[in-house]
Amino acid sequence: MGEKKAVIVTENLTKRFKDFTAVDHINLEVMEGEIFGFLGPNGAGKSTAIRMLTTLSEPSEGTAKIEGYDIRHQSDEVRKRIGLVAEKLILYPRLTAVENLMFFGQLYGLNGTYLRQRIDDLVKMVRLEAFKNMPIGGYSSGMRQRINIMRGLLHNPDILFLDEPTALLDPQSIQFVHDLIRELNEAGKTIILTTHIMEEADQLSSTIGIIDHGKMIAVDTPAELKSKNGSESLLEVFLKLTGRDLRDSASNRVPMGMMRGPA
Amino acid sequence: MRNGLFQDIQTTLLVTQKDLLDFWKAKMLVAFFMIMPILFMSMFGFMFPQTGESNPFSGKVSTPYKNAPIGIVLEDQGPFALQVADQFREMSSSTGLFKVQDFASFESAREQIVSGNLKGVVVIPVGFTEAFNSQRQATVIITVDDTNPQIASIIYSEATSIFKAISDGLSVSLIAKMDNGVDPSFVSKPISVENRDLIAGTANTFQFLAPGFIALTAVMGVLSGLGAAISREKEQGTMDGLMVAPVSRYSIVVGKILAQTVRGLIQGFMILIISMFLFGVRVYGNPLLMMLVMLLGVASFSGIGIIVTSMAAEQETAQMMMMMLQFPMMFLCGIVFPIEQLPNWLQAVGKLLPLYYAADALRKIMVLNASFSQVFLDIGVLGIYSVVTMGMAMPIFRKVMRR
Repeated sequence: MGEKKAVIVTENLTKRFKDFTAVDHINLEVMEGEIFGFLGPNGAGKSTAIRMLTTLSEPSEGTAKIEGYDIRHQSDEVRKRIGLVAEKLILYPRLTAVENLMFFGQLYGLNGTYLRQRIDDLVKMVRLEAFKNMPIGGYSSGMRQRINIMRGLLHNPDILFLDEPTALLDPQSIQFVHDLIRELNEAGKTIILTTHIMEEADQLSSTIGIIDHGKMIAVDTPAELKSKNGSESLLEVFLKLTGRDLRDSASNRVPMGMMRGPA
Repeated sequence: MRNGLFQDIQTTLLVTQKDLLDFWKAKMLVAFFMIMPILFMSMFGFMFPQTGESNPFSGKVSTPYKNAPIGIVLEDQGPFALQVADQFREMSSSTGLFKVQDFASFESAREQIVSGNLKGVVVIPVGFTEAFNSQRQATVIITVDDTNPQIASIIYSEATSIFKAISDGLSVSLIAKMDNGVDPSFVSKPISVENRDLIAGTANTFQFLAPGFIALTAVMGVLSGLGAAISREKEQGTMDGLMVAPVSRYSIVVGKILAQTVRGLIQGFMILIISMFLFGVRVYGNPLLMMLVMLLGVASFSGIGIIVTSMAAEQETAQMMMMMLQFPMMFLCGIVFPIEQLPNWLQAVGKLLPLYYAADALRKIMVLNASFSQVFLDIGVLGIYSVVTMGMAMPIFRKVMRR
């Protein structure tokens, strides 16, 4: 088996909004084929970091490379290799699942028979064949999220960013998504998972990175984090490292209009 | 993966197709989209009815305001005064211009004007007959309801026309009595005036309005639709899906502009059809030239629309900002009434807006069959606006989307 390489490497990645630093000189490596759980309290900088890595936001300082391509200067190459499943559904509610997937597939240069077959395969994977020609607006939240994930996978990216993929889902849907994440990872995909659900991060992630106040404060396997911090649960580790105070102060709030996702 | 210009064009068309499909699936929105121009044009069309020749003696009404209630006060009971009053009543009736009511005094007539029952009063003052008999000019006094200056102007103008006609008739008969062998018509009116139309058929107020409305509808469609489209994508999260794809940002924006342009052109076309079939508007000019003007008009406002909506965090804010731009344009750009009716400084403001040039060019093409060279200035201004605003808008859009 070949040596695994770092598919995401950040170098002093920083993002400032006027006098507020949301992400503060992060240096991070995500290895090929791992599930990287990205944790942090509200306002810690998770979503800002994800937005920079997915080329949706310009870094103020530093840079990152995705499979060797610079996010600032080779953003198109980065975009070809990543898939984004944001917390807000990237789906048009009036269009059907097929219409949505056809549109996004074509944006990635897929078309014709290949795209139709790919859509059929993905819809089958998430067991939504019977509903594929219904407008997405009529789906349940679980159904929408399944199609949302499929949308991120259309162009078969090597790296998948999943931002709160199970938020607001029922237990059955959560289980389905977890199984799907494992299946995708076993197929070789690198997954960056942000979540507030500690059990989810614990169960799924091979490596966990904890960010607070814009800085990476811990990066390790779940077992090592628990061991080093003398806790049996990841939740306790998290609270130990980030504190138990509620995050309502101004220093933790990103200015309105600067964010398009959860802090 | 595709590369270069071909890919950009394909992406543009893909985004356009998606936006139009998304729009088409919103059935309520489509219904209002179709109804709006019909309602809009019907309202304005019936507010400004067609006019005939401007001649109070021909029997054809030249004013949109018929049978206006007007009073007459005979302060002079002399024979000349009575004669003129009779002629005024007869002409008012035969032309359908006025419904004349007699009043004993100016004050009683004034009360009726204030109450809203009269639009004006004609007073034939004391000394009218005596002046005539003494071969001095006799004067009638016309008072109109000034609360509505537009109506007041019409009433005054029509009443003056009737008295002018009476005066001309009297001139002819007075000169005939002099019996010096000269044609009394010639002496009374050595110069007559004949109107020659630039366009065939009768003058139609709606011929002025229709091009402006077509331009306004297309532009408003782009401004409000584009703003809503971009803001809605930002709010619902799908903008991230577009921006994370390996496609040109410009092709995304141009695709959206194209979708809104198609919608605007459809509505503009609907307005044109309604104008032609319901209100007798005729198109004398080149449809391709009209299309060019419309496209440039849309392009010139697209840039403004993108700049404004890039800066608005929510759809509601974007829509408010667009309304703030659209509403004054209706009055400043010669859409509803000629820009020359505005004070000079407001005319200057209106002429800074591309809609003025779009409406002006469309009007010249549609009504006067103007050629490309004859609307070159308008097209040139629209072209410059398009290039400048789009040139400014794209980097702003890119920068704001990547904040």
